[in-house]
Amino acid sequence: MLGALGLIALIAAAIRTAGGDHVSSLHHLYLIPALWAALARGVTGGALAGLVAGLVQALSVLPLIERAGVSWPALDGLVSLSTPLTMGLTVGRLVDQSRGRGAQLGALLEIQRSLALTRPLRERLAVVAELTRRALGVDRVRLVLEAGGDAPVAASAPETFQPAEVPSSAGATPCRRLVLPLDAGQGAAGALIVERDGDLSTAACCVASALALHVALAIENARLTERQRHFAQELEEKIAGATRRLRELDQAKNEFLTIASHELRTPLTALQGFSELLLTREVPAERARRYLGHVHTESQRLGRIVGDLLDLSRIESGRGPELRPVPLDLRELVEANIEIFASQHPRHHFDWSGAGPVPPLCADRDAVDRMLKNLLSNAIKYSPHGGRVRVEAGVAVDQPGMIALSVEDDGVGIAADALPRIFDPYVRIANPETAAAPGLGLGLSLVRGLAHAHGGRIEVESLPGKGSRFRVLLPA
Amino acid sequence: MRLLAQPLSTDRGASPSTIAGQLALVAALTGLGIALGLAAESLAGVDRYLGRAFASGSVHGGFVSAGWLLALQGHEGWRGPALRGAGALIVASLAAKLSPAGAVAYLLIPLVIARDATMWRARLEWMGWRAPRDWRAPFVGAVAGAFLGVHLLFAASLMLGYLVAIPDGRPYLAALAYDIGANALTAEWLFRGAIFSALWRRWSFWPAAAVSTGLALVRYLLDPALPQTAELMAGAVFYTLLLGLGCCALRAWSGSLLPGYLATVAFFAAYRILLV
Repeated sequence: MLGALGLIALIAAAIRTAGGDHVSSLHHLYLIPALWAALARGVTGGALAGLVAGLVQALSVLPLIERAGVSWPALDGLVSLSTPLTMGLTVGRLVDQSRGRGAQLGALLEIQRSLALTRPLRERLAVVAELTRRALGVDRVRLVLEAGGDAPVAASAPETFQPAEVPSSAGATPCRRLVLPLDAGQGAAGALIVERDGDLSTAACCVASALALHVALAIENARLTERQRHFAQELEEKIAGATRRLRELDQAKNEFLTIASHELRTPLTALQGFSELLLTREVPAERARRYLGHVHTESQRLGRIVGDLLDLSRIESGRGPELRPVPLDLRELVEANIEIFASQHPRHHFDWSGAGPVPPLCADRDAVDRMLKNLLSNAIKYSPHGGRVRVEAGVAVDQPGMIALSVEDDGVGIAADALPRIFDPYVRIANPETAAAPGLGLGLSLVRGLAHAHGGRIEVESLPGKGSRFRVLLPA
Repeated sequence: MRLLAQPLSTDRGASPSTIAGQLALVAALTGLGIALGLAAESLAGVDRYLGRAFASGSVHGGFVSAGWLLALQGHEGWRGPALRGAGALIVASLAAKLSPAGAVAYLLIPLVIARDATMWRARLEWMGWRAPRDWRAPFVGAVAGAFLGVHLLFAASLMLGYLVAIPDGRPYLAALAYDIGANALTAEWLFRGAIFSALWRRWSFWPAAAVSTGLALVRYLLDPALPQTAELMAGAVFYTLLLGLGCCALRAWSGSLLPGYLATVAFFAAYRILLV
């Protein structure tokens, strides 16, 4: 600016020295500093340099008017007097507009890029606020964005800026504020607050509106991209989970087939062997009777396995087992089963807390019997070194209207990560201590299916190495 | 709800109607001072210049008082500083008329106003009673005022044939003291400080600058000290407009009244060289 003013002084001195005050073409030299200042400092510099150039020229033009009145040479002088100011203003304005648009375009690209980054939203908004502040040439900017039910996310440039309800009027320069909605066509998603000390021109307001729209679109795009990214990640996780589950099921079915073929073949072999002996040899009556007893036992075992498989098949197909509910004495059923299991497994100690009243239950006797047998069988199977098996039956204190039947053991227990899978069919949790125990992995699945068929459910608590407690809840 | 949400302020300014009433009181007292001064001119036994000095001091006192009233937005405390400022101006004006050396009293006026303004510093910041934001602003103001003043000298001597000469020391210094303590000070205090700043808070720069400069222009055109010739009136309009707008721009850019004050002082320092 000082350079332009110096140049004006030099031109004025040169023209005066050359005696060329009345040669209008020489006055065009004043355009150079005005143009220079306008290009360097925009409209302020151009206007100031043009004004000074005009004032300097006036010293030679005005005496002319004084002497000759309003004449053609005087008018010529007046035109050349106003030319630097006009040009300084025009070029300066164009320079300002061009710079402003360049800055806005750059800021918009930067805003798009910043919002697309995978950083926390608040950090991205802080960058956008700073870019907006620079692009608009204002003093303070705040962006407030609705964040889906939670408290709105906000960021300011400078960081400490917190707009008061009413802009401050105590300062030496009045503060102008503009609040614009961030609306990309689906309602306001937030607001852009712009504050400037001094004037906020109409042009600046228009630019701010356009920028607010672009920011809103950029935010909307960023949100969509983020949502897509989130969905893609979720989908990948679901697919991975489903694949893992299918693999587990496939593995379980394979294991089941292996075990089932073994479990079915054992009684069949016994049936075939004993029946063949009876058919092909002369067997004494007493031995024949014993053989027939074995045949009967093994056929019963085979029937149970087939029955379990059929029931499970019905449960899985959604039809449920056929139930014949009858009034049932739960105490009698529990005591009978305990007697049988106690006689077969002398290493285990059975606790039956049946001293209290057991309310009557209306349920399928066979189904309840199978549930109890399965739970007792599991308790024994997974307590390979013997131990205490505690059985309880009675009103569920924490579940009004339900009767609870629980079986607790102090066996190997179940790991927490395996608990969600133990009720799935064909699943046997790997444990080196119980790997040799027979079973198809159908028992708990069947118990759950039977409980559900009665309108009840089954619960489990377990600690590895401490034992497990299964509780069947049936409607009273 | 907004009232309940904000702390109760017992220190608020008066309502616009109250301010208007007080402004009318200031105008009435100023008019009374002018009338007394003019009446004294015609009284036998009293130096007629003293009457005129009283009237001149009353006018500047009125400007300072109106400035205080608007600056403190009618707050009760405006009366004390206004009376002190006005009284000091009348005394300085009378002292300057009694002897050229008495014009030194004008140099005390900025101190009187500055002393009161310091007590109200927080309340006066909005009108520009503060240091400039840019340390170069006072120099820019002084250079701009000097440029305009020198331009005036060149234009007047080249166009109208007025003589430009280094004046006699005492009257020139007395006039300069008047500009420092009364002319430039009251113009900045009232027109740029109170009026332009208040209007700029409501409007954008150009309307506020136009109105405040227009009022300042009226004040100079009505000044009986201005020679009533057409070419000088035209020159006064031209330079007062430029000076007024320039001072408004300096006030807006720097946030302070100081650069504009220095510009006005520098301009009038040049103007006093012109032998009108």
